[in-house]
Amino acid sequence: MIEQILLIILFLIGFWGIIAKKNIIKKIFALSILNSSVLILYITEGSKIGTNAPIMEEGVKNVVDPVPQALMLTAIVIGVCITALALAIAFRLYRYTHTLDIDKIHRKLHDEPF
Amino acid sequence: MKESKYSKFFIFQIVLSLATVLAVILPIFLSRVPWPDLARNYLEHNGLRDSGARNLVSAIYLGYRAFDTLGETIVLLVAVSGTISIISHSGLSQAKGFGKGEIKKHTNNSISGFRRTELIDVVTGKLGPIVLIFGLYLMLFGHLSPGGGFQGGVVVASGIVFMALGSKTDSSTWLQETGALAKIEAAGFLFIVLASLSGIPGGFGFFGNPLSSSGASPVISIIVLNTIIGLKVGAGLGFMCIAMLGKVE
Amino acid sequence: MSHSDIIFAPIFLPLLGSALVFCGKSFFKGRKAKLIEYSAVFIGLGLPWIVLFYLLPFILSGTTIQLVIGNWFGGVGIIYRFDGLAWLVIFLGFLIASAAWIYTLGAGPRGLGFNAIFLIQTAALAATAMTADLFNLFVCLEILGITSYVLIASSEKPGAFLASFSYLMISATAMVFFLVGLLGLYRLTGTLSYEGIAAGLKILPGEGGITAIVSLSLIVAAIAMRVAVMPLYGWLPDAHALAPHAISAVLSGVLIKTPLFALTRILIILPGGIEAGRLMGYAGAATALVGVIIALAQKDTKRLLAYHSISQIGYIVSAWGAAVTAGLSTPAGLTLMTAAFLHAMYHALFKGLLFLTIGTTTDLAGERDVYKLRGAAIILYRGGEKFPVTLLCFLVGALAIMAIPPLNGYASKAALSYAFKGSWQASVLFAAGIGTTASFIKLSRIYWPQKKINQSSPKTGTIPGKVSGSVQISQIFLAIMCIASGIFASRISLIVKKLLSNGIIDTNRVPPNLFSIQNLEKTAITVTAGIVLFLIVSTGSGKKILSLIRNRPRNFQGLFLSFSLGMFGLTLWMIYKS
Repeated sequence: MIEQILLIILFLIGFWGIIAKKNIIKKIFALSILNSSVLILYITEGSKIGTNAPIMEEGVKNVVDPVPQALMLTAIVIGVCITALALAIAFRLYRYTHTLDIDKIHRKLHDEPF
Repeated sequence: MKESKYSKFFIFQIVLSLATVLAVILPIFLSRVPWPDLARNYLEHNGLRDSGARNLVSAIYLGYRAFDTLGETIVLLVAVSGTISIISHSGLSQAKGFGKGEIKKHTNNSISGFRRTELIDVVTGKLGPIVLIFGLYLMLFGHLSPGGGFQGGVVVASGIVFMALGSKTDSSTWLQETGALAKIEAAGFLFIVLASLSGIPGGFGFFGNPLSSSGASPVISIIVLNTIIGLKVGAGLGFMCIAMLGKVE
Repeated sequence: MSHSDIIFAPIFLPLLGSALVFCGKSFFKGRKAKLIEYSAVFIGLGLPWIVLFYLLPFILSGTTIQLVIGNWFGGVGIIYRFDGLAWLVIFLGFLIASAAWIYTLGAGPRGLGFNAIFLIQTAALAATAMTADLFNLFVCLEILGITSYVLIASSEKPGAFLASFSYLMISATAMVFFLVGLLGLYRLTGTLSYEGIAAGLKILPGEGGITAIVSLSLIVAAIAMRVAVMPLYGWLPDAHALAPHAISAVLSGVLIKTPLFALTRILIILPGGIEAGRLMGYAGAATALVGVIIALAQKDTKRLLAYHSISQIGYIVSAWGAAVTAGLSTPAGLTLMTAAFLHAMYHALFKGLLFLTIGTTTDLAGERDVYKLRGAAIILYRGGEKFPVTLLCFLVGALAIMAIPPLNGYASKAALSYAFKGSWQASVLFAAGIGTTASFIKLSRIYWPQKKINQSSPKTGTIPGKVSGSVQISQIFLAIMCIASGIFASRISLIVKKLLSNGIIDTNRVPPNLFSIQNLEKTAITVTAGIVLFLIVSTGSGKKILSLIRNRPRNFQGLFLSFSLGMFGLTLWMIYKS
């Protein structure tokens, strides 16, 4: 129970960071936190039905559910890729507008002719 | 003292968003439904026999759900090539994409203009090869213990970055050359795409394991796939990190 | 080789093509690399056509192929399903992608893996249409997303980076909510395939209760984000307006529709899906009207087209939502879904044509403001077009979107109003049609000759004065498709209906008369009212209202607020109606 509440708090911190923080690098951090909260949720929930790691050595029984772990491997890699791409785009935005504040970037780029 | 830059309307928007999101995720995060054991029971009894891998997670992502792994590889490839093209077009980085252009010859410092200290030299330069070996171990033993292609690949990539950070010019390795890394990544991707066809001649279907019914253990295909994925991921991420280390003018 | 594995060819061939492109760039230089690149694109975009037409007779006769990839155990493996719906969506995807690629030969973004990423996007489109597994849908949507972010950013305009960044953030957040919903459904049923989840939910008491409903609404909201219905459309105008022209065509034409049709498979079998479809249908009707009002106010040409994409996707979603509510096995539902797909396909054709022609024109003229640009016809003439190909193609596209017979827009809008006969959606769509006419009259003014004779000649733009052959070929191809699909619309709609119903409908039945007097009357009224509306908004006070709409405050957190409110509203609706 306590871990679920902590994960909700982590999720909300991530979501809050994406919308409330002005610095685009902090937004990217927050997206990463949001991703982490969901994947920890999958793994902890999946581990509740067993006691051993899903490595079938001799005589191993009662393993945890391996499916959420496999799914989350994919989700982690995808999250990392998106973070990398977002950082590259943020870098180009900074090079062009010399600021990392999303409101200033919006204003600068909406006044410019395309 | 700075006046608050958050207007009342802004705070109202934030609170409203957070409240609605909380309301929506609460039933799922706090759910008391017991976790189903359908998949776990099936895999506990049949996973080793179907795929030959003791690590059930490897059996899933390289056997049952190999198509998702291909998708993940594709996302990584697109992210790496996209990131490199976005950064290199800004005119700052020395790393050009995929075989075009050369890396400028460095002077007495390694890649970027930052100052190399003894700490970096010892830690990263000397640890680099050890990290690479650890990454190779993770790749090759992914079917027997926790590990696998992606995990090993990421460690290999960090090994490449260590060696790029810590080496002196006259002892730099070919691993730092982005041309070589791009070749490994492209070849790895082609191999994985072609490997998806390998099950078809034997009648096992797209992404089927070609060794399922032959005398050889089906785990060999998992080991091979793990290694190729690891090399591809390592080369790709290493390339991307080296591009991000570009010199600041 | 097993017969059914050929359904993977539309996914496998573009992937093989992109792998070859990457290898070509890394291992070879110069001309050899180019040769490998072009042959790889032929493998990736050309060969799948052969496979599609080979499979067509089988699918028309009603066979559907459903299999577990690799013949692994179905409870853990990935299930794919190839039926009429999949065939149609894949056909649309490859059609627009091929036309757009030919355009890029002449004018598009070049180099550094553009072709490879384009091919990967096409492969992912095919996979999304066929998948019957929720996590695989997640992976396919992520591939579509990441290729879009990179392709939008490849136009190297500073605004494009901001558009790509905003799209990335909101889309990645939506996908996190998708994962949360997926967790809820897996927790209840222990499986990830659509049919497994549906079967699992049915045997639970109360069919899963609140958890199932909330999970489904999260998944629907995440997919609705990609489809850009109200209120989730905020990312689309910037992204489609600032992308390279060929990519705008593919984004508007295919990428906002494929997730919608993939969602069909989920909503028709899961409990609560029908209610979600109903609400999306209502939202679609509202989108059609709101989108066209905002479109009328725009002054940037591509942004006007982008808002029109939002409006037209509203048409499609409202028909699709009504189809899902009625059920695909009923005649009414089938008619609605046929109309929805027909409009999706025709919209892809004429919107792609419009983006390409407007793109060529504004590049050559160096100006994108509708109020400032005039005399584009002369600029195109000076740009090497002795025969006004681009101008004529633009006219075909504009007439198509205004629903003038005999072009395809007329046919699909007539199909929509026939399917919606008598309901309130018909009046909303009719009103939106008036707005469409008005805004396209506004847009076509860029081609009219300049008023002042002593104005200096317009500055030349990014294309150094020449309209290349491949640009013209792709535009002519799309224009011919628009005209042909308009003339043969009745027969095409019967084929579509047969494919969607998996072979039950007989193609020898008499098709509904699309050119009836009623429909022609309606068109005449729409056009007249549109001209009147255009004259109204050209007056001083009209312009003031338009600039108010155009300059309404839009910011980053607005995207997320509308997403969370939309998701919350959908959840409440589904709980209330269950």
